[in-house]
Amino acid sequence: MQNRRKIVLKTIGVGVLWIAAVAFGLRYMLNYETTPGPTGAVPIAWPSESRIARSATQPTLLLFAHPRCPCTRATMGELAEMMAQTAGKVQTYVIFFTPAGADSNWTESDLHASARAIPGVKVLSDARGVEAKRFGAETSGQAMLFGRDGKLLFSGGITESRGHAGPNAGESAIVSIINGHGAPQNRSMVFGCSFSRRERLAQNTAK
Amino acid sequence: MNRSDDALSAARAEELFQQHREEIYRNTDQLFARLMLFQWIAGILIALLISPRTWEGQTAQIHIHVWSAIFVGAAISIFPIWLTRVCPGAAITRHVIAVAQTLMSALLISLTGGRIETHFHIFGSLVILSFYRDWRVLIPATLIVALDHFLRGIYWPYSVYGVLAASPWRSMEHAGWVLFEDIFLVISCLRSIREMRSIATRTAALEANERNFRQLFEEAPIGMAVVGLDERFHQANTTLCKMVGYSEEELTARTPLDITHPEDVSPSKALVSEMLDGTARNVIEKRYVRKDREIVWARKTGCLVRDSHGAPRHFLIMVDDISERRRTEQALLDAKEEADRANHAKSEFLSRMSHELRTPLNAILGFGQLLQRQNGNEAQNARVGHILKAGRHLLNLINEVLDISRIDAGNFQVSLEPVCVRDAVAEAVDLIRPLATERRIAIATDGIAEDGCYVVADQQRLMQVMINLLSNGVKYTPIGGAITLNALRTHDRVRLEVHDSGAGIPADKLERLFTPFDRLGAEHSAVEGTGLGLALSQRLVQAMNGQIGAQNRSEGGSTFWIELPYCESPLARIRAQDGKAALPMNALNDNRRTMLYIEDNLSNLTLMEQVLADYPDIELLTAMQGRVGLDLARQHSPAVILLDLHLPDMPGWEVLARLRSDAATRDIPVIVISADATRRQINRLIEAGAQRYLTKPIDLVEFARALEETTAPTVAAA
Repeated sequence: MQNRRKIVLKTIGVGVLWIAAVAFGLRYMLNYETTPGPTGAVPIAWPSESRIARSATQPTLLLFAHPRCPCTRATMGELAEMMAQTAGKVQTYVIFFTPAGADSNWTESDLHASARAIPGVKVLSDARGVEAKRFGAETSGQAMLFGRDGKLLFSGGITESRGHAGPNAGESAIVSIINGHGAPQNRSMVFGCSFSRRERLAQNTAK
Repeated sequence: MNRSDDALSAARAEELFQQHREEIYRNTDQLFARLMLFQWIAGILIALLISPRTWEGQTAQIHIHVWSAIFVGAAISIFPIWLTRVCPGAAITRHVIAVAQTLMSALLISLTGGRIETHFHIFGSLVILSFYRDWRVLIPATLIVALDHFLRGIYWPYSVYGVLAASPWRSMEHAGWVLFEDIFLVISCLRSIREMRSIATRTAALEANERNFRQLFEEAPIGMAVVGLDERFHQANTTLCKMVGYSEEELTARTPLDITHPEDVSPSKALVSEMLDGTARNVIEKRYVRKDREIVWARKTGCLVRDSHGAPRHFLIMVDDISERRRTEQALLDAKEEADRANHAKSEFLSRMSHELRTPLNAILGFGQLLQRQNGNEAQNARVGHILKAGRHLLNLINEVLDISRIDAGNFQVSLEPVCVRDAVAEAVDLIRPLATERRIAIATDGIAEDGCYVVADQQRLMQVMINLLSNGVKYTPIGGAITLNALRTHDRVRLEVHDSGAGIPADKLERLFTPFDRLGAEHSAVEGTGLGLALSQRLVQAMNGQIGAQNRSEGGSTFWIELPYCESPLARIRAQDGKAALPMNALNDNRRTMLYIEDNLSNLTLMEQVLADYPDIELLTAMQGRVGLDLARQHSPAVILLDLHLPDMPGWEVLARLRSDAATRDIPVIVISADATRRQINRLIEAGAQRYLTKPIDLVEFARALEETTAPTVAAA
């Protein structure tokens, strides 16, 4: 009887610890997944110094991506779905960040291949993140939609959380705007890896 | 099965059900222990494959998913795995497993980036949880799913629904799909439980039957064993083990032939072959050799048990110890042999004594009769009369003792043929009447009036019995009394009754009435007798397939009766055959129209007279004694002689021998007509010189054919 009681108490004690540990772990994961990345100062109009060719006949969608960010795989999936819903109505660029000194092997990732495989998408390489800096993009997965007149229509991520595929507010807003229905929001959170923030900080420090 | 057995069976069914359920719980616990381990490792591999590192520019570090897969996965898995070791089969174990499995789904969904495909893990997990066949484990799993969606919907709607403000109905819809699956899983669990209970109940019933059969098998008062087709004992009950002195283990290492007496091995093998060839069962009395080398006699019944397709499965044998019976039988056999030897010795003794006694008696009676014929004085004649009376009494005594002896030894033969009851009774009464007249006793035969009443009997022996009964009646009836005879016929028997007006027989002495030499106290009276008459009569009647008995009459006196088989009158039978066969009387030449019939049975003589009545040219000579027949044959040289074998003065075979040895009668054809139909007797008479042998009752067609055959050579010679 005494032994049984000990076993029960022991089991309850271990059970409580187990629940606490699991709850902590999951909470930590959830916190990580739902914490958005930093966003820079996104210009309200197309920067004139940008070397990316903006369409004058249809909206232009820019998606800044880190070629090795695992969270951006979900973003690519959502982009593919979004392109299917807005076929021919938008000029789309995926701009892959390329750090200084990186060779082509570094940028050639499965994300790069996924982007190229999406119909209607042009893939660009952004050496040392110059274009990202011009557009204020600091996190992989940052999308921006500019109108035919060059004005910013939307800025934000197109995933619900870090690396999670599925319906989300950003994607819905972009599709709605492109299709001429307007959108209740023109911003969303961005979930992904950072673009060489420390390097830029280092460069800034050097200046 | 009584109430107690029902309760025991129900309790056993519940025990079996619980054992089965416990086994399922434990097995499923082990399944989940391995599954948890597998999922943990799979989670780590998925994290390493999908998101091994996280980046900041060109700098990478281990992705948080990898650490989560390792540590959160471990946290989820280790506790339930530990429980499967320390509390296998316990309710807490499977409920913790249910929670852990759902949490593992959440972890895997996170690791795969919320792929919709990974959500199927939840539904798959619920199905696997239903392996427990305990619908209650679905509750914590479902609650975790519902709680996860509910809390996420409230606090992190963006993480689960992709919108910043989700409707509470979305949570319910997500949980609803889980509940939808739960409903069918619960139904499946409940059905499984019902089936398990049904199986447990059937198993308990089978166990009870098996237990009952085993008990019957073990406690049977007869030895029983199951023998395989390899001829080895597979099972043996206690009775058989005790019978042969081996334990069941020792027997199962042997075959029945190993413990069979060497002389009984071959028949035992033959019986096994017969059963394999299709004989349903067989019985043999055989000997087993016990372990202590003693012999046991047993009656073994064996049968071949087949399966539902008819293929042999094994033999079932039942063995009954008959050693005691065998010993008794052997003792009886020994006693019988001893009695037979004694009886044979007695017969031998009687035979010799008969010869030794008859020889001097012959002289006594012979010279006594010579003395009687001499004219002695009155006193001398009286003395001679006493000598002759005593001598005849002694001769009767010897004859009766010899008859009884022959009957008991089985050497006594009767010639059964149709005998007319009226004639036999009349003849017997005629012989007794002088004695009855002397004692002024009236003998009434009015009850025997039927002319055509016949019985199957030996004419002479029936006369002997009737004379004996009448003689007793006369002796034990007071002077001036009466004796009445009756004949009653049932459909197949005739009952002859002799009523007397004597003192009757004491009831306590009736049983001793037919005991040889027991005169029931009359030996102290003036009535003469040997005490053998009724004993001999009983044996004679039984030899004629009849019965004899006695009883006291209510009006005084006693009744002695005999019953014999009824038969049809030969004359009536011959009349029925009339016209079917014509006697070849033309074959008898003119000088020889004479036929001699030697027969002591008046009915048979009358019968022959009737047969030949239609042929007035044929003269039928008859003789009721052998010697008379021989004389007539010599005097008349008949065309054919019909000869009976049982004659009062000499046997028929002796008459035949004398006919053949006499030149005057040597060539006369002889047709034997006898009731003795044994092949040995027929051959013996044919070899002795008889032309044909006919058996009674006479068949006219056969008789005509015999006449034709026996007289044909005479015609040819003429």
